[in-house]
Amino acid sequence: MRKVILLLLLLCFTAHTRGKLHSPPAKPGLTSCRSPEKETFTCWWKPGSDGGLPTTHALYYRKESSETVYECPDYHTAGENSCFFNKNDTSIWVNYNITVVATNALGRAFSDPVEIDVVYIVKPNPPEKVTVTVMEDKGWPFLRVSWEPPHKADTRSGWITLIYELRVKLEEEIDWEMHLAGQQKMFNIFSLRSGGKYLVEVRCKPDHGFWSEWSSTSYIKVPDYFHREKSTWILITVFSTFTFLILMWLLHMNRHNLKHCILPPVPGPKIKGFDKQLLKNGKSNQIFSALVVPDFPPATSSNYEDFQVEYLEVYVRREQELVLEESKDLHNSCLKSESSTSDCDSGRGSCDSHTLLMAKCREAKEGERQTDRECSPMRTEAQRRLKDWEEEALNYAHAGIVSLEMSSGRVKTWPSVFSPLPRYSSSPLDQQSSLQMAKQLSLSTSSYLTQPGHSTKEALGQSYWDLCLSSKQPHLLNPPTPVCRELQAHSDVNISSIGHKRAPAGPRSPALHTTEYVEVQRVDNKDTLLLQPVVQGCGRMGGCFQMPHGEVYSKVKGVDSDNVLLLQREGMGEDSCHKSCTVSTTQKPSGCIYTAVPVRDEMATMANGYVDTATMCTLHTC
Amino acid sequence: MAHCGGTNGSKLFTMVLYMAAACGAIPISDLLDRASQRSDKLHSLSTTLTQDLDSHFPPIGRVIMPRPSMCHTSSLQTPNDKEQALQVSESDLLSLVRSLLQAWEDPLVVLSTSANTLPHPAQSIISNKIQELQEHSKSLGDGLVVLSGKMAPGAQTISSLPYFGGNDIGQDRISKLINFNFLLSCFRRDSHKIDSFLKILRCRAAKMLPEMC
Repeated sequence: MRKVILLLLLLCFTAHTRGKLHSPPAKPGLTSCRSPEKETFTCWWKPGSDGGLPTTHALYYRKESSETVYECPDYHTAGENSCFFNKNDTSIWVNYNITVVATNALGRAFSDPVEIDVVYIVKPNPPEKVTVTVMEDKGWPFLRVSWEPPHKADTRSGWITLIYELRVKLEEEIDWEMHLAGQQKMFNIFSLRSGGKYLVEVRCKPDHGFWSEWSSTSYIKVPDYFHREKSTWILITVFSTFTFLILMWLLHMNRHNLKHCILPPVPGPKIKGFDKQLLKNGKSNQIFSALVVPDFPPATSSNYEDFQVEYLEVYVRREQELVLEESKDLHNSCLKSESSTSDCDSGRGSCDSHTLLMAKCREAKEGERQTDRECSPMRTEAQRRLKDWEEEALNYAHAGIVSLEMSSGRVKTWPSVFSPLPRYSSSPLDQQSSLQMAKQLSLSTSSYLTQPGHSTKEALGQSYWDLCLSSKQPHLLNPPTPVCRELQAHSDVNISSIGHKRAPAGPRSPALHTTEYVEVQRVDNKDTLLLQPVVQGCGRMGGCFQMPHGEVYSKVKGVDSDNVLLLQREGMGEDSCHKSCTVSTTQKPSGCIYTAVPVRDEMATMANGYVDTATMCTLHTC
Repeated sequence: MAHCGGTNGSKLFTMVLYMAAACGAIPISDLLDRASQRSDKLHSLSTTLTQDLDSHFPPIGRVIMPRPSMCHTSSLQTPNDKEQALQVSESDLLSLVRSLLQAWEDPLVVLSTSANTLPHPAQSIISNKIQELQEHSKSLGDGLVVLSGKMAPGAQTISSLPYFGGNDIGQDRISKLINFNFLLSCFRRDSHKIDSFLKILRCRAAKMLPEMC
């Protein structure tokens, strides 16, 4: 009895000291079953609490087609708490019903059954023999990764089909770069960093299964290829420097052009005789004396372009609508800047300038006012004078003026510019009177307005009287009057053509196609215009009329006693003119041909009033 | 999209195969490659379908689900392991494949019709996938016809595996789901068999191209 009690106490004590209560084992659980090659498989379980007693586990399985329960054939190969099914025990496309039983002294526990089919639990081993090498492609390195399938997986026969995946990263990076390689066993990685150290890993997966674990890491170091990059940069630098130098050189070569492009030069003054240096350094006397053209009025044959010639377009009109507009006209005409034929850069251009014109007009105006003040009936006098002048003109038209026909007569006068020329001023009085005359003339001429419709019937052309008032005193018109160049601009005064209104004895103004140049020799006291054929006067100043190009103009060679205008048939342009001009007044130019043709009623006038030699004939009293 | 692609693809596949058969231009390895791609797709679809179905499957269903041995194709003798499979001749393998595929022609229709009324939250997805299954299956079958013509006469043999399940898969929700799941599991297994056999055949045909396997 005492022994039993002692035994019990001992047991209790033992149990108490242990601190545990024995219990049947807890339910184990199957964690996973995997097949690496679709030929074998392994199952792992996790045991529950053992209940304080040594617990054993057993795995039992049952195949789908039979009720036979088998126990796990191999508990050790796969490690602890595992069951390995070898090839003989593995059937595919067969469901396995697997249960794990935990047993201890007090009881047993069954895990939940698991149905598996081997073909669905395939998880291969990682690929093997992963090799990474650095290779070169046209000087640029790349990584070549190659591997082999896990040795257990039978891919040769097609029993298992594996697809691969690899990942790469630099040693210092965190994120991997994934590449799917498909079924191939080799892969190239490009775009490497020079001198970088790379880590490469590969894994595989069957066509319908689970991914394997990553293979062991392969390390590879990419060699430095920076020097190749450097050489490229050197090349680029050299090329760009070259190009830059060439560009600079080109710019340097063309700097003048560039300068002209960017900063166009200010056109300098082109007044003949205007010396910039003189302006800077010299005295005013010198400047102005320099301005004075020494050979003006032109005595030698010089360029016609440089001369300014006044010409007076005169036409005879019955009604003399003068007056009121004259001042206005003058003003207007002064305001107008005629620049149709003159270029801004020629010598005349400056004379044509607006300011100068205004100055001139102002002078003219003063003169006008003066004259007005002097005689308000100046106008009438002007009319009278004009009439006289007309008559004179007509007379002279008889004498030899071939035709005076103007539709829109334009008078271009330049009285004030040339008046101060000292050379030709015999006396101040003369000068004054000449000026007066000029002004009066301008006045009178200005009194004539354009009457476009007035003479359109007859003539389209204009006849120009070359009035060289500028170059000489009216009284002192020299026989060899210089040839004056027609000057356009200044005060445009339209004078109705004289030829229109048949002056009492005036010839019917025919339609002229050419302009006949007759030099005004002088104007006498009676305001009679004395004409002189131009060609004679050529020689003195050496200037000649500038003929519009392409047209044949005749110079009046002379007027003979029968009031026949002798014309000179010339060739073209200036050359012949020059030729003729060199001849003295009395001589007949050898190179010149002249024809004296009786004046006919009908004259061919050219558009600008020049007389066509072909049809020219001398006027006669009719 | 997949529907159209499947139809066009199948037509193209068939045309190509027929042309190949006529001209003899396309090698068998290519044909097998295309066929195995089809079968791969087929099995993948069935796998996803099973997962979709399992997302809302009553636990009790797993308990009372019929065994796979109850599949109507279980009577067909197929290799059970690798050695057995590798010993089967090509024509026999193809014959097996064709038989299996043929056996599923009708049950797929049943699956399709019952998918329309399946009491499952992912019913529409399942229905679409069943449609795809049908198309892929059809195109594969057509291709296999051509393939079998290039092989030994044994490939022409098709075992008849009739389906006796009828059109009705159950009355109540549970039984419907269970039966649907069961049928799908049978198809999944059979599609895996087809895929495996075709890939074995492919490897065998591509002896010159080891990278194919």
